[in-house]
Amino acid sequence: MNRLRFWTLVPARALNFLFFLVPMGIVVLYSLMTRGPYGGQAPPFNLDNYVRLADPLYLTILLRSFWIAGISTFFAMLLGFPLALFIANSGKSRSMYLNLVMLPFWTSFLVRTYAWMFLLRDTGLINSGLMALGVIREPLPMLYNDAAVVLGLVYGYLPFMVLPIYSTLEKLDPSLLEAAADLGATPWVSLWRVTVPLALPGIVAGSILVFIPCLGAYLTPDLLGGGKSVMIGNVVQNQFTTARDWPFGASLSLVLTGLVMVLLWLFVRKGGDKYL
Amino acid sequence: MRRRTFFLGLSGLAGCTRGKRRLNVFNWSDYIGPNTVPRFEFEFDCEVRYHVYESNEEMLAKVFSGNSGWDVVFPSNYYVGPMAQTQLLAKLNHSKLGNINNLDARLRNPVWDKDLEWSVPYMWGAAGIAYTTKHEPAPARWADLWHESFKGRITMLDDAAETLGAALKKLGLPLNTADPEHLGKAKDELIRQKPLVRAYLNAEARDQLVAGDLLACQTWATTASQAIEAAKHLAFVFPAEGFSVYSDCAVILRESNEQELAHQFINYLLRAPVAAAIVNHSKTATANGAARAMLAPVLRDNQVLYPPESVLERGEWFAPLPPGAQQLRDRMWTEIKSA
Repeated sequence: MNRLRFWTLVPARALNFLFFLVPMGIVVLYSLMTRGPYGGQAPPFNLDNYVRLADPLYLTILLRSFWIAGISTFFAMLLGFPLALFIANSGKSRSMYLNLVMLPFWTSFLVRTYAWMFLLRDTGLINSGLMALGVIREPLPMLYNDAAVVLGLVYGYLPFMVLPIYSTLEKLDPSLLEAAADLGATPWVSLWRVTVPLALPGIVAGSILVFIPCLGAYLTPDLLGGGKSVMIGNVVQNQFTTARDWPFGASLSLVLTGLVMVLLWLFVRKGGDKYL
Repeated sequence: MRRRTFFLGLSGLAGCTRGKRRLNVFNWSDYIGPNTVPRFEFEFDCEVRYHVYESNEEMLAKVFSGNSGWDVVFPSNYYVGPMAQTQLLAKLNHSKLGNINNLDARLRNPVWDKDLEWSVPYMWGAAGIAYTTKHEPAPARWADLWHESFKGRITMLDDAAETLGAALKKLGLPLNTADPEHLGKAKDELIRQKPLVRAYLNAEARDQLVAGDLLACQTWATTASQAIEAAKHLAFVFPAEGFSVYSDCAVILRESNEQELAHQFINYLLRAPVAAAIVNHSKTATANGAARAMLAPVLRDNQVLYPPESVLERGEWFAPLPPGAQQLRDRMWTEIKSA
């Protein structure tokens, strides 16, 4: 029996090894090497890249990234929960609404981000519309600031919030809400004291799914932030492109991955795993 | 198995290209005419795999391995030296490049490759300021981009070398400096300018300038020339303090098994009518002096693409940077962008 178990797990282990451990190993190796004179990576092996990371500049950018990702997750939750609740209560139309939530994934994220740029620009749809209606005289500066970045991130990762919350709400036993109503709870009270606590695993899972990609985002801050508000993902990307400093880029991304793992570990240790 | 033999094996299997020579060309996007490659294939009875890239770094990341499968690539001038030093390039055989005399006299003995041992200049360009003539006074110097009247209506390039370069020129310092003190001053200038800057943009600045979102932007002459064609109220100036100049050059990789065909391709690109047809399409500045005379007059006499000698004197070529300086510049650029 044990043998069978061993052999059936071989494909999974092999996948894990090939597509997770080996690439991670390469990243670790690169992070300990030195940039060659014109890019690439070469010996000697040392910890210099990690020493460079201790620069307050990168710490500030890291903190900023946590802040932007946190705010984006918060807004995604604010929008995602009511949306998931609405879909869960839509009876037969559920699958249609779910498909609509997934629909944006059919187009590239890059194209959708450009679409936002066309909406938010000075001469974009929103500003020209408002000016034509006489609501404003001067275009509102909607593009190239932190708000635009948060908007782009919330928009991009909202489905990751909606789907896990929906899956917990879908399983929610309606008789619990009836019982709450019988005991005199108003709809608001039963939402806060029955639905939300029972949906908490979905909310937590959704928040993690949104927070982590937001933390590493680089496209959105570049396009919607106009390169004026750098996130840690941009610094990593820059190392692999213009700066041609792969070892430093590797150490940056490892530290980011490590931080996320430590946070998740702390969360689980504090008993958060009951939500997962 | 080398990747090339693998590809050749594949195309051999396909059955239709057996025996034909095959050349792999990796060039910048929008840098070729619609008929350039098919005509070469026809004339030299070969097949060309032609792919494009958007940045030097993208090309280098592939070519660096030394068995990338490419034969001819087009690095910018400041990468020619480093690529030659890291043994990536094959020496050019000038006896096979009879058309090399078509090159613009200015590019026959360039600083980065005095005798064109490794590279043949293909296109060139410079950075300056594009602006709308509706705004008074018109900018003429980099320093004007630090003026309050442009607040929120200008963009700078999202490119450390260019943006630091503009600040260095503004301060009267050399473009390719590695001196931390020089770079520190340039960084401070750019941080001081940041509240006026709407964004750091490359190609997107063109549309916003045409649409009227921007009053002025730091941009390349080729980008500006396209914008001016789209909107007549735009103009371009080569800043008085001096400006950066680059050239994208054809090189043959050492790994190439088609050295002969690669030379034939470069020599073909050097033909005046071929080079003229390319820039009539790409609307960039050709390094081919003989071709320029054959261009449509709007392009030939375009002072943005081909500024007069008196202006060009203020230009300074980009040069390779020592690794330490590169690292320092990158850290400063990160500091500017996160300020």
